[in-house]
Amino acid sequence: MENLLFLIYAIAACGGAVGVALSQNVVRMAFWLVISLASVSGLFFMLGADFVGATQLLIYVGGTVVLLIFGVMLTTTGPYLAIKTNPAEMIQASVVGVAFLGVVLSTVTAVDWSGNRATLEHAGLVSRPGSYYQQGEGNTSRQIGTALLGVRFDQMEQGAAASDEAAHGHHHDGHTHADHAHGNHAHGAADHHHETISASPRVGSGYLLPFEIVSVHLLVVLIGASYLARAKRRVEQAA
Amino acid sequence: MDPVGLSGYLTVGAVLFVCGVICMATKRNAVGVLMGVELVLNGANINFVAFSRHTALGLDGQIASLFVIVLAAAEAAVALAIVLNFYNNHLTIDVDRAVELKG
Amino acid sequence: MPSETYLQIGETLKWLLTIAWLLPLGGFLIEVFGAKWSGRKSRAAAYLAVLCIATGFVCSFIALCTWIDAEDLTFSDVWQNPLAIAAEHDDHAAGEHVTAGHGEHAHGDAAHADHGHGDAVHGEVAHAEHGAADHGHGNQPLSHTFTGTFYTLAKFGNIKVSLDYYIDGLTVLMFTMVTFIATCIHIFAIGYMSDELTEDYEDHFVHLPGGKHFHRPGRFYRFFSFLSLFCFAMLGLVLAGNIFQVFIFWELVGVCSYLLIGFYVERKSASSAANKAFIMNRVGDFGFLIGLMILWTWFGTFSFANTNPDQFGEVGLFQMVRTDDGQLDTEGAGMNRVAYMQSLHGERLEGTDGAPRAIPYWLLIVAGLGIFGGCIGKSAQFPLQTWLPDAMEGPTPVSALVHSATMVAAGVYLTGRFYPMFTPEVLLVIAYIGCITAFIGATIALVVTDIKKVLAYSTISQLGYMMLALGVGGWLAGLFHLVTHAFFKSLMFLCSGSVIHGCHHEQDMQKMGGLAPKMPITCWTMWIGVVAISGLAIPGLMLPYIGAVAFSGYHSKDAIVATALTFASKNPTHSLLFFIPLVTAGITAFYMHRMWFMTFFGKPRDQHVHDHAHESPWVMTGPLVALSIFAAICAWGGEHGPLAQLMLTSEPTHVAGGIAPSGEIGLALPSHHEIHGNHSKAGVMALLAAFIGTIVAYVFYCRQTVDPALVKDRFLSIHRFLVDKWQFDEVYDVMFVRPVHVIGKWCVGLDKFGLDAILHGLARLAIGVATWDRKFDEAVVDRVVNVFGEVTYSTGRSLTAIQTGRLRQYVMFIAAGVVCLFVVLFIFLPR
Repeated sequence: MENLLFLIYAIAACGGAVGVALSQNVVRMAFWLVISLASVSGLFFMLGADFVGATQLLIYVGGTVVLLIFGVMLTTTGPYLAIKTNPAEMIQASVVGVAFLGVVLSTVTAVDWSGNRATLEHAGLVSRPGSYYQQGEGNTSRQIGTALLGVRFDQMEQGAAASDEAAHGHHHDGHTHADHAHGNHAHGAADHHHETISASPRVGSGYLLPFEIVSVHLLVVLIGASYLARAKRRVEQAA
Repeated sequence: MDPVGLSGYLTVGAVLFVCGVICMATKRNAVGVLMGVELVLNGANINFVAFSRHTALGLDGQIASLFVIVLAAAEAAVALAIVLNFYNNHLTIDVDRAVELKG
Repeated sequence: MPSETYLQIGETLKWLLTIAWLLPLGGFLIEVFGAKWSGRKSRAAAYLAVLCIATGFVCSFIALCTWIDAEDLTFSDVWQNPLAIAAEHDDHAAGEHVTAGHGEHAHGDAAHADHGHGDAVHGEVAHAEHGAADHGHGNQPLSHTFTGTFYTLAKFGNIKVSLDYYIDGLTVLMFTMVTFIATCIHIFAIGYMSDELTEDYEDHFVHLPGGKHFHRPGRFYRFFSFLSLFCFAMLGLVLAGNIFQVFIFWELVGVCSYLLIGFYVERKSASSAANKAFIMNRVGDFGFLIGLMILWTWFGTFSFANTNPDQFGEVGLFQMVRTDDGQLDTEGAGMNRVAYMQSLHGERLEGTDGAPRAIPYWLLIVAGLGIFGGCIGKSAQFPLQTWLPDAMEGPTPVSALVHSATMVAAGVYLTGRFYPMFTPEVLLVIAYIGCITAFIGATIALVVTDIKKVLAYSTISQLGYMMLALGVGGWLAGLFHLVTHAFFKSLMFLCSGSVIHGCHHEQDMQKMGGLAPKMPITCWTMWIGVVAISGLAIPGLMLPYIGAVAFSGYHSKDAIVATALTFASKNPTHSLLFFIPLVTAGITAFYMHRMWFMTFFGKPRDQHVHDHAHESPWVMTGPLVALSIFAAICAWGGEHGPLAQLMLTSEPTHVAGGIAPSGEIGLALPSHHEIHGNHSKAGVMALLAAFIGTIVAYVFYCRQTVDPALVKDRFLSIHRFLVDKWQFDEVYDVMFVRPVHVIGKWCVGLDKFGLDAILHGLARLAIGVATWDRKFDEAVVDRVVNVFGEVTYSTGRSLTAIQTGRLRQYVMFIAAGVVCLFVVLFIFLPR
């Protein structure tokens, strides 16, 4: 079932993208784009990123594409509805595109992703386990919200269960870390006590600053866009 | 049958990316170019979320993709404003007519 | 004096004198920098200068009163009649040192804590030797001196260079005298220099081609600023507490003298006279520097003495050289003779190695001669006397202040101040130099006709007298004459200035005559000066309380002659040192009266000058009257009068008792007591000589019973010799100037044909190298650079073809570029 859904969404997304690339009429391009972006949001849902998928639908399909269509309406009149592309260019582009695709896909297939992860964990370079499994599939809105405010519920300070599940190589590291954090490392045989101590979210490693920057950025963009696009009285042509 | 792994999503992302690039390279319509950009960004987003799901990236990947979405929306707004200006000045949106940068 | 009182008086004197010293400096600065605002026609500069120096005089006078009060001088001697004075000296001869006159001097001087005389303590330094000899209690020389340091300039370990002060009776007296005379002369100069108060001054003595005279703006304020600077320098010289500081101000007065002599700088004679004065002084200063080096090397200090109780232990030069009773502590003979240095405790000073420190005796002589060399230059002594007559090119107030009363007296002052450092051998040299100078100056003055030159040679002669007096052991006599001479010589110079001003800058006495009715004040004030310098007195008349009826010059000259006579009788080998001054005294009376008669009496020789002559305004005659009063009475009482008593408080300890024949030359110096014994004899002789001179002058130039021209023809060759100033200038010309010219020519030749040729060769070489270098630059360096530039430019041009400005193409390039990069990566990156 999952594979089937993925197949549908994948084909829709890729097909939409190809349609955008191939169609000459700008309105059709917009249509294909909606198809493609909506499918991508479906893929997001499948990946357990509910909030991102919803945002994709809202902003892209509901916002950006409408904006584009407005742009098309405002600018594309009569002869400019479809501007033909030189077929030679199309061929060149497709050659380059295919080459590019080959390069990327070869990269994707060449890397042994799961093997890499295991290698990294074994070497101790990945100390944090993925967080999906404890918090439940797809319920990420709260975590993302707190992460944007700087509190990481997805990264617990030495969650006891998580550290037990971690590779054996990390056991001592984890405990030393805990000892330091709680300040009672003088108790030599206190290992078991620590495991019962409840975990707390990491504070201070979130995205509060980028969040603020992005918000200011959006404000600037809003002002800038309205300034650029404001209705200027055009100087009379050749008058 | 195994569930679709990381590679599948990466492939979809790659296809979107390449289509976006081809769009940018071939469309003479300025809005079409913008659509290409959106496709490129989406391809990248898919990669982010996929890595977020399948590797230790965790929630960070999703947050990065959120920022990308937001910035893409902003970019679209600004770019459309530019396109409108371009149209006002050249009475066309054919990017091939904009050759002021020719050396 | 108790220590607190001592310090209190010292502080008072220090501040008073420092104010008097620095005020002219302030005036100078304001005059120099304020001249812009006051303008050329303003008298503000003069008023400011007068204000400064007059305030300085008031301060100095207060200091003088403070000093008299502190010394408790009651001048009781003067109030007694001469018989009592004689009786007193008999008492001295009997060894009784506590007299009625001194018994009431109740000094609480701790250093003089008396052992045998509970009721009377003697404090007069002049009589200290008796107490020291009889009772052996600690006599401390310089107990009537205040020293200290204003500011330390540099310090090298134990030795330091500092600005000190050294205040004793002589300092205070000199301050009062200098400021008073300077005040008078400043006021006089307001009138004398008034024709400089103009924007366009015509100098009648500078002839331009075309028969025109030189025109320039007036320099009234400049004159007064120079005068102020001079006063500052002179007072600093007097106040200086170490020999190095003396040297600094010594040079500063030299500079002022240079500036003032060359005041009319456009006149060739004035500028060359200024140069001459400066260069002649440098010759003397060379000796001064040698003396300084010796003192610095051997003694390690410049300071005269240190009497400050707070700094007990530091020793000055005077204290090092002289023992407590004022003698030199020498040992050995010939070149091996050494003089041991003394500490303050009456012991020999020990060096770092524990051995007593000593200086070779001959080096002490050389140091003394060196310092005296400076004095020779400054005081215009033989053989450096020729600059002083030429210095008369300066304005007359300058001649009065700088070149008769103060600056030239600085040499005498320094000789007196440095007296403890001079060994008998040096003193003999000083005496002979002074004697020769006195005679040369007097003889030349006989024939000079320029009124200022007469006074100039007279000054030289009188300075010689002072040196002679100092040399023969008459410390008091020399400095006494210094003060009295300052008064009457400045008076006479101002009178001559008044005459010159009244006669419209005519200085030749041969064009004057019969001016007495036209300028009576000038005439009779000058008479006072002439009588004073001649040493005339009413014979046989001795008034009670006053002594001989005479003006100041009589007393001081009498003292000198008496000292010289005593000296000659003790050292018969050197009896010339008595006879020449005696003859010179007669000559002095002659030429001074000759000048006076020629100027003011007889028939007018030049009717034009006579017709236009007029008395000077009050601003000029006022100072004349003031000075004439002082010239008349300042020395009243003679050696028992207030002036002499005041000086005696600071007389070096060893002078009063005389010195027994000693040293290589077996020289004996007279004691006060011996001099007193010869006083009447010497006085009669000097008076006789003066009267003879006066009468001869009267006969020659007033009655004109004998025509001077006849005498002149009779002794034509001598006259010629004297008119040529003993041909000193010619001798110097042959000895120094011409050789220098020759050497200069050789140097020019060397420059032209030696150094210049080398330089030209080098220059040509440089040009050749530069030419080749240029070719290399153009052919190689420039070409390389140009090629680079061209290649870059053409590459850029050709690459513009790629930059189409088409966005889509760029995207294409990017994509293709990424692909290419990956391909390259895949191919070349090792797995």
